[in-house]
Amino acid sequence: MHQKKRLEIIIEKPALKRACRVLEEAGVKGYTVFPAMAGFGNSMRWQRGTDLSASRDMVMIISILDAAVVTKATEDLENLMGAHIAVLSLSDVQVLRAEKF
Amino acid sequence: MSADLILSTILSPIVLFFVLGLGAALLRSQMSVPEAFAKGLAIYLMMAIGLKGGVEMSKTALTPEILLIALAALLLSFLGPFLAYSLLRMTSKMSRIDAAATAGHYGSISIVTFVAATQALELAGVVTSGYMVAMAALMEVPAIMSALWLASRGLQKSGEVAGSEKGELFREVFLNASVVVLVGALAIGWITGERGMEKISPFFVIPFQGVLCLFLLDMGLNAGRGLRQGWRQLDLGALSFGVIMPLMSAVITTVICWGMGLSVGDAALLITLAASASYIAVPAAMRLALPKAQPSIYLTLSLGVTFPFNLTLGIPLYIMLAQWVGG
Repeated sequence: MHQKKRLEIIIEKPALKRACRVLEEAGVKGYTVFPAMAGFGNSMRWQRGTDLSASRDMVMIISILDAAVVTKATEDLENLMGAHIAVLSLSDVQVLRAEKF
Repeated sequence: MSADLILSTILSPIVLFFVLGLGAALLRSQMSVPEAFAKGLAIYLMMAIGLKGGVEMSKTALTPEILLIALAALLLSFLGPFLAYSLLRMTSKMSRIDAAATAGHYGSISIVTFVAATQALELAGVVTSGYMVAMAALMEVPAIMSALWLASRGLQKSGEVAGSEKGELFREVFLNASVVVLVGALAIGWITGERGMEKISPFFVIPFQGVLCLFLLDMGLNAGRGLRQGWRQLDLGALSFGVIMPLMSAVITTVICWGMGLSVGDAALLITLAASASYIAVPAAMRLALPKAQPSIYLTLSLGVTFPFNLTLGIPLYIMLAQWVGG
């Protein structure tokens, strides 16, 4: 098994493309986007699909990547997190095929 | 204005279905309309109203009077945010950026409020012009420019957000779903005219009222849930702004309609447009352009306060104002 990093970003849907661009420019080999159903933050609940603009919807991006790619994207990710409603977490994971990530 | 018109507007199926959805959400009912279905309904309604407007436009030539109304519509949308911004800064504790983002919503329009006003006028037997749909489309965008200018005043340029792409805001503002569908359907209706409409009327004309009821049930649920989740973010000044601002816009637009000598129907629609607030096109643009502004503030106000007010009490009032000044 090989050691990699798992990057998890929960971000407002309007900023999804910005987050994807940051990851792609940093050189990630892949990521997956999930719709978030509901949640709580900033002292209020939110729920998917409560306005037609979808501007309050949140999505989650998961990417397994090399630690070097995370280092490369740190500055841009900090900038993105500072501007938008978003949460980022990073954890250690083990993968079977290192070349895929 | 007779009490009959107020009653017939408030007791129309579309308003009652909206009230049903609003009440259900406020009482924490779990009822919901599937998300993709609701978005499909919105596209259907914008197509139907655009097509209808386009067909009506194909029957009339472009006159200086129409151009004058278009100019007034553009100016109302462009200048509306300045009034809204000043009012918000005076009456609430909102930050400059939140006030600017909220002001942008109040310069732009709500196409559903416009459709509801059209239905109320039809019910009252008041004639309206098809080109008013074009005015609605014209009023979607200028307010966003004003809001961005208001937000940028006195603030240090903070640089681009990472991942931003050249032209993304332009695409969001000018190519969002409501602008594309509304303007596109308007053009298709104008090109195909009455003969084209005959072929698609079983889908776009006859079921329109029923679909509108279904859509407004969902809008009621959205407005109720938005209000329940976001009202704590608003102080009393901001909450009252949600009602005062549409009334102020309505009075100013009434004077403009009187000056232009508009018919009762067209005046009522222009007043309604000016008094309505966006909750489709502008919020999405604001998330990209002003991400620091809080969506819970501007969406709660436009969708949770102003939209229900306009749909129930506002529209009969705007028709009344139009009847006073309409030619």
